[in-house]
Amino acid sequence: MTVAAKKRKPADESGAIFDRELDDLPQELRWREWMGRIEAVLFASAWPVGREDLARVVGQGASVEILLDDIQAELTGRPYELVQVASGWMFRTRTQFADAIKAAADLGEQSLAFTEMEMGVLCAIAYHQPIDRAGLAEIFGKEVSRDLLARLRYKGLIASGPRSPRPGAPHTFVTTETFLVTFDLQSLRDLPELEVDPRDPG
Amino acid sequence: MTYYTTATFDDQTKLPQLPGWVTFGRAETLETVAFRSGAALTVLNQLVGNVRQDMPVRLLANRLALTAATATSKLEGRLARETDIRDAYHLTPPGEARGPDGDLLGFWREAVRLRLGGPDEIADLVGPDLAEEVAGWLDIGQERARTHGPLAGCVATLKAVLETDDRAERVACLLSDIVLARTLNWKTLLPVSAQRLKKTMLRELAAKGQEAELAVQVQILDNIEEMIRLARKLACRGEALRGIAPKLRAKGSDAAVDVFLSEDAVAPASMLSPHIRGTSIPMTARAARRFCDRLVELGVARELTGRSTFRLYGIVP
Repeated sequence: MTVAAKKRKPADESGAIFDRELDDLPQELRWREWMGRIEAVLFASAWPVGREDLARVVGQGASVEILLDDIQAELTGRPYELVQVASGWMFRTRTQFADAIKAAADLGEQSLAFTEMEMGVLCAIAYHQPIDRAGLAEIFGKEVSRDLLARLRYKGLIASGPRSPRPGAPHTFVTTETFLVTFDLQSLRDLPELEVDPRDPG
Repeated sequence: MTYYTTATFDDQTKLPQLPGWVTFGRAETLETVAFRSGAALTVLNQLVGNVRQDMPVRLLANRLALTAATATSKLEGRLARETDIRDAYHLTPPGEARGPDGDLLGFWREAVRLRLGGPDEIADLVGPDLAEEVAGWLDIGQERARTHGPLAGCVATLKAVLETDDRAERVACLLSDIVLARTLNWKTLLPVSAQRLKKTMLRELAAKGQEAELAVQVQILDNIEEMIRLARKLACRGEALRGIAPKLRAKGSDAAVDVFLSEDAVAPASMLSPHIRGTSIPMTARAARRFCDRLVELGVARELTGRSTFRLYGIVP
């Protein structure tokens, strides 16, 4: 939330006159305009947009939830949908069209393609965070390369966490908000439950 | 001028204490819970409610934040241990991510710093998704507290939140604590509700009525009794630390003692040096370490982790 607060500062200063209330429009049109604004904001953003950011483009009393519901209702049958993820709402193509998109072109999605080992390490971090390289080595039975971790970090899926209380104070790894969005999780609680308690060394 | 001795409780025997008939046996009906909680809250209020010089309320609040974090971690199914949560919070360098465990303790530590009147602060802590409904949930609890007593108010709020979102355990516990603190006119929020609540209790509370409500009320009463014991212990520990303070001759030792009187875990390397937290008094890492070891030597503090590096010290037993 602090990030959002920082981001919108400049907008507040420059956008001196922005008519949120639209008092001159009849109610019906006003509502449509608000829906349009929310849709436009979400469309223009590659990133999930938080509730409060959306609330700033519509009137004071307008319920963002109802507006979003109305937009969602109009999108039934379309190949994309409006979904709520960790930090807000975003547009996303429906999963059934994944193959079509893959077949069509390289859409820059390459950056999120994983090798098996990367996926394994990412899972290990997700379940055992905060965990350092030594901890990962214990799980995989071999050293996890710094390059691999650097790649995951470059994709924004993991970040440095607390220092591990071992000699050398290695930093641990934790998953990020991007991780949640990428795997369509609202929180870490949505991780599928493991059959064995992941935190139980026995 | 007359000096009444009632205002100064200088040892454990003079601190307000739970009468035996509050803790004797088990509360089995809503009426007995109401009766016993009244007595227990009076004692707790005498300990923490008014401005008492000898009660380190900030220390108590921080210590409770840690146990609340451990309890909520269980409720949320993460099952992190208390030591892991404490490490995650205290060993994260500034600017780095604390991870889920450290964030959870961060949540409760922010909670005990809340100004209880400020709806914006509460909304910030709760997060944008649920913020809109906070006022409503608090009203439900406070209204219920007015007619049926504080514990009933806490439970009403817990129930209202969980009925809307059964995964908002930490928010439910937080708001329940706010209801209690407001009802009792406390200046500081103390995390009472979350301590040792069980997941099944909350699940039943959201699903069923009366019976589950009694179980949760009994648990909160238990938590309050436990808090009284802890508060008495902390008051004594604090007193012991203040007693030996004149013997400490390190530069800035008064300020360092104050850190120990407000934090349950003190990392000498980051909290006492290069500056003693909250002041501009410099202390070298070595001096900080020696200071902590000196407190252990004098028997007023303990090393909490059992490690030889990354040590954390505290006066809490």
